Amino acid sequence: MALLQIRDLCIDYRTTAGTARAVDKLSLDIEEGEYLGLVGESGCGKSTIAKAVLGILPRNGAVAEGDILFRGRSLPHSSLQELNRLRWRDIAMVPQSAMNGFDPVYTIEAQINEAIDTHVSWSREQKRKRIDELFAFVGLERGRAHDFPHQFSGGMRQRAMIAMAMALDPGFIVADEPTTGLDVIVQDQILHRIKEIHTRFGKTMLLITHDMAVVAENCDRIAVMYAGKLVEHGAHNVFETPFHPYTMGLCNAFPDLADRGRELISIPKAPPNLLTPPVGCRFADRCPFAAARCRAEAPALVEVGPGHVAACHFIDRAAEFRMKARDIGTWQGAAAAA
Amino acid sequence: MHAWRTFVLRRLALLLFVIVSILTMMFFLFKLLPGDPTSVFVDSNFPDDMVQRQKALWGLDAPIWVQYLRYMGNMLTFDFGTSFFQMMPVRDIVVEKLLHTASMIVPAVIISVALGATLGAWLGWRRGTRREGAAVVTLLTLRSVPSFFAGIMVLMIFSYWLGWFPPGGMVSVGGAGDSFWETVLTIDFLHHLALPCLVLVSREITSPALLLRSTMLEVKGSDFLDVLRAKGLPERRIVVHATRNALLPLVTDVAVMMGFLFQGQVLLEIIFAWPGVGRELVTALNDLDYPVAQACFFVMALIILITNFIADILYSVIDPRVAYD
Amino acid sequence: MAGTQSLRSPAVAPSAGVASGIGALWRVLRIIMGYPTGAIGLVLILLFALMAIFGPMLAPQSPFEVSRTAAGGVVRLSPPSWDNWLGTTNQGLDVFSQLLWGARVALTVGVISAIGSIVLGTLIGLIAGYFGGWTDEVLMRITDVAFGIPFLPTALVIISITGPSLALIILLITLFLWRTTARVIRAQVLTLKTRPFVWAAKAAGASEAKIIFVHIAPNVLPLSFLYMAIGVQGGVMLEAALSFLGFGDPHVMSWGSMLNEAFKAGAMRTAWWWVAPPGIALSLFVVSVFMVTRAYEELLNPRLREI
Repeated sequence: MALLQIRDLCIDYRTTAGTARAVDKLSLDIEEGEYLGLVGESGCGKSTIAKAVLGILPRNGAVAEGDILFRGRSLPHSSLQELNRLRWRDIAMVPQSAMNGFDPVYTIEAQINEAIDTHVSWSREQKRKRIDELFAFVGLERGRAHDFPHQFSGGMRQRAMIAMAMALDPGFIVADEPTTGLDVIVQDQILHRIKEIHTRFGKTMLLITHDMAVVAENCDRIAVMYAGKLVEHGAHNVFETPFHPYTMGLCNAFPDLADRGRELISIPKAPPNLLTPPVGCRFADRCPFAAARCRAEAPALVEVGPGHVAACHFIDRAAEFRMKARDIGTWQGAAAAA
Repeated sequence: MHAWRTFVLRRLALLLFVIVSILTMMFFLFKLLPGDPTSVFVDSNFPDDMVQRQKALWGLDAPIWVQYLRYMGNMLTFDFGTSFFQMMPVRDIVVEKLLHTASMIVPAVIISVALGATLGAWLGWRRGTRREGAAVVTLLTLRSVPSFFAGIMVLMIFSYWLGWFPPGGMVSVGGAGDSFWETVLTIDFLHHLALPCLVLVSREITSPALLLRSTMLEVKGSDFLDVLRAKGLPERRIVVHATRNALLPLVTDVAVMMGFLFQGQVLLEIIFAWPGVGRELVTALNDLDYPVAQACFFVMALIILITNFIADILYSVIDPRVAYD
Repeated sequence: MAGTQSLRSPAVAPSAGVASGIGALWRVLRIIMGYPTGAIGLVLILLFALMAIFGPMLAPQSPFEVSRTAAGGVVRLSPPSWDNWLGTTNQGLDVFSQLLWGARVALTVGVISAIGSIVLGTLIGLIAGYFGGWTDEVLMRITDVAFGIPFLPTALVIISITGPSLALIILLITLFLWRTTARVIRAQVLTLKTRPFVWAAKAAGASEAKIIFVHIAPNVLPLSFLYMAIGVQGGVMLEAALSFLGFGDPHVMSWGSMLNEAFKAGAMRTAWWWVAPPGIALSLFVVSVFMVTRAYEELLNPRLREI
């Protein structure tokens, strides 16, 4: 049984303009010990999934249908007490780096201790030793634990966050855009730490990012989301031989270490409005290969290889699409046609 | 900790600097007095040598810088001399009047903050509704009515027309107890306190209400609350975090309000015949009782400065970000 | 939103110094008229201004002239009547006439001290903010001292020593009001100083005076206007407070001194028509300035809408 099972999950946001379905009938498994990267453009619902797993959806958001099972136990249907028992001890998070994840008026150490004290009763000495270990692991000076969050740089704060996430040695860690907004070198260091959690301690991890290259470099498996839907899911073959045109586009949009000379292509136009999602394939409007069928009928996920699924009507033409997708003209043509 | 200590020391230095500046200003102001303090006391028909003797007695024959240093020393040790008319140490008078003023301000501030903060939290919750908009405009309008006019109106309606409350004073004639507390802990005192307190609260409630309204909103949307929830903290711990953050600006606000009222309530003390330090200042100035006037002025200024200082320090303690800016 | 744009336009053409100031003022007024409360406030202020300018000409009597009956008796404490629209005081003075004259005193004090204080405050803020270093340190410490001085007690002491006069009261209010303007303008200058158009002017070899007054000053003017409006209100209130305490100029009749006389005579018990008009006029004036400044603040700083 997978550690985390997401089953036909639908998440709705009530807004003044109507109800938006941010996540639509999404199913996804994360196996014990797996490092999954969930990618997509901003607003595709990837962070919403992280929030739903942790039970911290904003007030106007709710799981409308489906379920999230952690070790077979439903998270959305748990009471707050049950959820609080699981939180941090079994499921911890590293929040978005752009977020101020620490309360500004308490020291870092106080906030880590608070996380520990909520779940276990350790002696002062035990807690001190644990913070020694954690700070050594993330590469922070021990003395800085008495500092307030604002005295840390963005990178240091994120290291402290990783330390806090590790405090109770949880089995599963969700990292939601942990490096956005940090400068590139710091980004690499942080991602390296997070990967180490996985390689050294064998934790199951979910990394949420918009950066294809980051996933390619760090994760074992990858799931691509578009406008609330899962469009492709698999191991490294997802970016080696993508089957969904959106994945092809995403691979184009990021510098490829192996292919430096190539021009970067970004996918023209914006994702659809989730208040009134299109009937057919949600990507059809931006897809250079879209046909009439794509606009009429939503494609289902089909197996395209071992442990590799994609949701496109034309998986048999994927090889041809991959060739064309490398040409910038293909994408510009799609923008012009629509 | 180092940065914090520097911050506190800087503030302290500034406080002393301002106190010395104000005292110096006062020294020269009172030097400017038509004639000198003796002229109130010493008849101009007195023979010259008697005037000289009186001056020597008051230390007025010394060089000006000696007088200045002596004056500073006296003021900073709260040795204000003797009242020209009340024939008792000015310090005793001022202490008594200060207590009276405090007995009006402190309850008013406590009520304002308690009501204002609650109202503010409610307003933050009902954000954007018509009722919330109306409440905010009402609060702000109430605040812009001059306090003395509000005082007069309240007195006119509730005391003269309806007769529900006494028209002024702290206690009824003969109602004063032997000690401050015996006086203050009576129904009679509360009866007298009600009207001035009402006027003060109607104005002072605005700022805590608006402050809490905006900070509560800000805190409710802050990211760290998500992390706290994800940490599995029980709801009440999360509320503690949120409240501590939301209340930050309120602490400064309360201290500043308290300090400001010690000078701003002069008008209300006059209207409600409240025997406080502000009313004493006006009386002393009218009576040319300069030692008392000086002391009242100095004490009022000092209270504002000290409450502002405390507000700054307190704020830097509860919001560590401040001291490091 | 259009208003926000035009107000915040960062690069003012160098030649447009003063003209842009007047132009900005005009734009500001037009935008304020767009807010319902702002429009009501502006109309009320206009009425008060007319009252201050023409009121004394329209006043049936001088504020110190005793109303008499045909028989020559003094009309004491008469309720509002055809002869005395707002009744008379205990000395037979006409309340309506006093009210009209009072508007002139109030606005004179308010406007002069507001102008004085924003000129002073803006200058100090500009200089401290632009030059920084020791200049800034000295000016800001002076500002700190000014913030430590409690207005009412200080004014009472000074007036009792030197004797009351309108000029002194205006001076005291000016010296009290400048400090907030100075701090706010300084903060604004600190951010403006780093804008590209200031570098550009420096690179082009503009003198410091030119940079301050031609390039930076026009950009802080909208803020100065705001503080001027707040200053008029503050000035009117402070004058009224001083007069109410009996420390006003005895040669003029202001709303505050009317209230003082009424209070001393115990008119709250006997003559509501004597107490209410000056109090209502004062409150209405303060509220109308407040409505205008609030609308103005909102457009100066859209973030304030959150507050």
